[in-house]
Amino acid sequence: MEIRPLANTGEALENSSAPEYTPEAKDFCLRNSETIAIDNNFAAQSYWKEVVLRYVSKKSAMIGLFFIVLITVMAIIGPGMNDYSYSAQNLLQKNFAPRIPFLEGLGLFNGSETISTTTGFKTINYYAEQGLSDIYYWFGSDNFGRDIWTRTWSGARVSLIIAVAAAVIDMLIGMSYGLISGYFGGKVDIFMQRILEIANGIPRLVIVTLLLLVLKPGMVTIVIALMLTEWMSMSRIARAEMLKLKEEEFVLASRTLGAGSFFIIFKEILPNIIGPIITQVMFSIPTAIFTEAFLSFVGLGIPVPQCSLGSLISEGFNSFTTHPYQIIPPIIVMALLMLSFNLTADGLREALDPKLKER
Amino acid sequence: MKRRLLAFIMTSAMALSLVGCGGYNQTNTQAAAPASDSAESASASDSSASGESAAGSSSDLNVMLETPVESLDPQQATDGTSFEVIADYTDGLMQMDSDGQAVNALAESYELSDDGLTYTFHIRDDANWSNGTPVTAADFVFGWQRAVDPEVASEYAYMLSDIGQIKNAAEIISGEKDKSELGVTAVDDKTLTVELNAPVSYFLSLMYFPTFYPVNEEFFNTCPDTYGTSPETTLSNGAFILDSYEPAATAFHLTKNADYYDAANVQLSGLNYQVIQDSQQALMSYQAGDLDLTLVNGEQVDQVKDDPAFKAVGAGYLWYVSPNIDSVPELNNLNIRKALTMAIDRDSITAGVLKDGSKPTYTAVPMDFAAGPDGSDFSADQDKFSDVCKFDSAAAADYWNKGLEELGIKSLELDMIVDADDAPQKVAQVLKEQWETTLPGFTVNLVIEPKKQRVKDMQDGNFQIGLTRWGPDYADPMTYLGMWVTNNSNNYGLWSNADYDSIIAECTTGDLATDAKARWSKLYDAEKIVMDEAVIFPLYTQCNAEMVNTNVSGIDFHPVALNRVYKAAKKN
Amino acid sequence: MKKYILKRLVTTIFTLLVILLVLFILMHLMPGSPFNDEKLNSDQRAALYAKYGLDQPIVVQFFRYVVNMLHGDFGVSYNISKNTPISQLIQSRLPISMQIGGCAVALGAVVGLLLGLLAAFKHDTIWDTLATIISVIGVSVPSYVFALALSYQLGFKWGLFPMLYRADHAFDSAVMPSIALSMFTMASIARFTRSEMLEVLGSEYMLLAESKGLSGSSLIFKHALRNALIPIITVLAPLIVDLMTGSLVVEKIFAIPGVGSLLVNAIQSNDYNVVIALSFIYSAMYIFIMLIVDILYGIVDPRIRLAKEG
Repeated sequence: MEIRPLANTGEALENSSAPEYTPEAKDFCLRNSETIAIDNNFAAQSYWKEVVLRYVSKKSAMIGLFFIVLITVMAIIGPGMNDYSYSAQNLLQKNFAPRIPFLEGLGLFNGSETISTTTGFKTINYYAEQGLSDIYYWFGSDNFGRDIWTRTWSGARVSLIIAVAAAVIDMLIGMSYGLISGYFGGKVDIFMQRILEIANGIPRLVIVTLLLLVLKPGMVTIVIALMLTEWMSMSRIARAEMLKLKEEEFVLASRTLGAGSFFIIFKEILPNIIGPIITQVMFSIPTAIFTEAFLSFVGLGIPVPQCSLGSLISEGFNSFTTHPYQIIPPIIVMALLMLSFNLTADGLREALDPKLKER
Repeated sequence: MKRRLLAFIMTSAMALSLVGCGGYNQTNTQAAAPASDSAESASASDSSASGESAAGSSSDLNVMLETPVESLDPQQATDGTSFEVIADYTDGLMQMDSDGQAVNALAESYELSDDGLTYTFHIRDDANWSNGTPVTAADFVFGWQRAVDPEVASEYAYMLSDIGQIKNAAEIISGEKDKSELGVTAVDDKTLTVELNAPVSYFLSLMYFPTFYPVNEEFFNTCPDTYGTSPETTLSNGAFILDSYEPAATAFHLTKNADYYDAANVQLSGLNYQVIQDSQQALMSYQAGDLDLTLVNGEQVDQVKDDPAFKAVGAGYLWYVSPNIDSVPELNNLNIRKALTMAIDRDSITAGVLKDGSKPTYTAVPMDFAAGPDGSDFSADQDKFSDVCKFDSAAAADYWNKGLEELGIKSLELDMIVDADDAPQKVAQVLKEQWETTLPGFTVNLVIEPKKQRVKDMQDGNFQIGLTRWGPDYADPMTYLGMWVTNNSNNYGLWSNADYDSIIAECTTGDLATDAKARWSKLYDAEKIVMDEAVIFPLYTQCNAEMVNTNVSGIDFHPVALNRVYKAAKKN
Repeated sequence: MKKYILKRLVTTIFTLLVILLVLFILMHLMPGSPFNDEKLNSDQRAALYAKYGLDQPIVVQFFRYVVNMLHGDFGVSYNISKNTPISQLIQSRLPISMQIGGCAVALGAVVGLLLGLLAAFKHDTIWDTLATIISVIGVSVPSYVFALALSYQLGFKWGLFPMLYRADHAFDSAVMPSIALSMFTMASIARFTRSEMLEVLGSEYMLLAESKGLSGSSLIFKHALRNALIPIITVLAPLIVDLMTGSLVVEKIFAIPGVGSLLVNAIQSNDYNVVIALSFIYSAMYIFIMLIVDILYGIVDPRIRLAKEG
């Protein structure tokens, strides 16, 4: 609702001089509209603007968003920040510990590492041993002599793409399926739940491996495999929420007013359950990254020498007790990513949920 | 608000402790069932409550296995782990000595007819099965007939037919003759004769291969469906007796066989096997004293290389790249193949990436498994084919450009299929990198597949380049060279060469089969053809990095058939 | 309610049959065969196919399998443990997986619930953030890394628990794998409890209950938790099945003779009977637990019960 029309009516009143009076639309407007206190601010604020305001005011949510943006930016520019490529090997410079300019002066990350061997501890610095004074592997190098910095960020790139694709598909398919099944109930629900049961009853691993065997392994195949398996848990949440809400008065009211099923499901109920849905989406992101990581673990993940955070962790895992620094960067990036997705999810959920407005 | 919260936390803490206890108590009682199941295994091992020391009395040898046993049926087993365990408690006619030579075991003596076609084995009188019945010639006849019986469908049946050349074996396998017609006869209880189609120079070395082990018919018939699935359904005639085992078990135990004919020379009180699939966990267990013998991963070599317990043990496998010569026109070009094999820096693969002691190999027959008539290793000289197989990036680039010119192309893109296992993936990544940097315009895409699928693709000819391996079945170069004859099922690239075929035929069943020296030099000729034609690109002879506790001695490591033999092992 | 359960049970049997058929078809689509060893030639493969009846049409195989299954015969393993009856393989392994999985579920659910409640009640405080961080670490560190770290510290350095599974110390051996496995459950449950509780606590009926003077445990357990439980159960149920049917990575690291590693090995080596039997057990457990969840919904939330009966 805007105020400008009222101002126009005010002008119209002053100018009217006709003797015979016929009621006009303007007569039904408020008197003294110029002087009564209408909260311009509040009314001018759209729902979405409010959501943004509420979101921005939450510190943890902003931190989360900041890290997501940061990691995304690093995933884009990180691999280009030094001269190494994610696949180029240098077998003479393998398993180099992290070495960072400036910090090495402080004794941190100066390229030496302590290995716990069966015959005691020993400290080595390959940079010094080989006299490579101007070589820097910021995160160290792996057992092929590839730069872990570059690989971590290219891995983050792959994982983010997989995760986002999976989450979006997850949301679209799973949510609609669950909402429809829950809303209609009865035979439709029973039928749809049986299909879900069958799809769900077959271990995910069987479906995913089979798909990867039939299709050519790669990012698209992994996304398709995740698509086939990940939507189910989302549909369960959506259905449970629907069952909880569909007997509520506001649904009844809407139906009484003649709203169609489609309208009720997506316009009335959906906004009310957006909280758990978003939380679930944020959880489906780690699940997606993990399923991919698990596939890497059994050797069916992203094909080598490409990498994802998951495959980097599996690779680093083999050197976990020997060169622990190799597994740390991907784990930290993964943990940060998860943390920020969670914080963002919380912020979003609270910003979107009108019921939580006052808190 | 505060009180409410406090009350809540209290209640939930109580709930937690209740549920927690309940959960674990329940766990405890549930756990009692499997624990009592394996009471037998526990009986051999006086277990300490803290779980610090490994099971087993002090002179039990604690051995780590990488994979579980697939089968304890000697005629069904195909994998190294199963062979090792079967051989722990079963002797064949021959056994391996510490150098891998065949020495008498159940056979006290043997005679070979002048034409080299009939072996007569005399079985020792003091050889008994662990149920007290003597080991007889009939046990061998029964076992060998099982091996070729189409109903048993043993995967190693070809050991008797193609390789052992035992009379009628091939016909029985293909169903043309009955298994009773196999050329093995029990003349009396202790005398076994074997008839061959052709002289086989390495026949005695087959006798320690588990497919040729005896099976007691009477005992087998008491448990035909479950034979070899538990201690009760196995029978021992060897140095140890299986006393706790379940199919695909992760831990099992063998005890010394007091009735073994050679028991006086067996030092260990038993063998305690533990399957550990994660090598870091295995090394930690070794360090904690729970294991005496364990495999280590290449990545852990940095941790152990200064340890006197660390050693590289030959595993026999030759890893090689097989180009599909027949159906990929670009690979049909010899120059391209030569370029590919010369662009590989094998030293950097073994020293830089594998690090487990594997040896770079430039011959079609791997090192250290087949000793010739003069006792020297067939592949001791690794430089003999250096004009066609060595690392030389300049020569490789020359061959490459020549090849591209002949084919009239500027660039080439090929797929390489690789097992989804750790080592092959590592090697493949290095190969890709080396090829792409050395050969301009070459792109290799790695296609990672589970092993079964990779093998099938290669068998179907559905590949361009494949990374594969072959383990020797017997100590003779023929186990490798025999693969490249026309139409051999392992000749994945479908390469064919008439000269080569005739040399191999001559060495297998022809005149040379009895003349060891001449045969040996002919085999070199054959190998030269394979190398000159770059039929395969050999990479390395696999070794396993193992930790053998310094107080343990006398374990025999072999690259062929039985990888580890513990008969002479000692633990102080 | 009884009628509803009965109806569900009947459909369950039908569903299981469909799943079995789907599994059969999937196995046939699987590239490779159980007998793809390098050393086998095509004649031998054909012989092996004939021996195990794999050369017959899929429909025949399917019916034979179902008939055998009704007699308790799940066939034999082709290559993981040659010719061993599957029932024997699973019999000794499933209890171990279920025991460890059960511990992990219990541990994860309880700790997760507590963490979630703490975060919800102490919303927007340092406790909330702390609970979030703990649960995020739980989901972002893969269980195998966690397992190895546990094993290194508690097992190797401190010698508290055996590093490898030992049948004679089943309880001690189960501690570390259970903790490693419970992390993901704990984190999921904590997150969901938090978000559900926040929702419930903000609802009108809680306000009403509070203003009526209800307080303390009665308010939390009778009103808040009960309503938050529905989605929590929904999340927990499939996790239970996943954990009880074994985990490849944890079994691999702690050398546990469970069914998780068996399934993965079976898939990779095309051991059809093992894959089908294990998948089928998984399906049966899954469907059974989902049935219980649906019944629980009714108990927890009378509205659903009414809706179903109506």
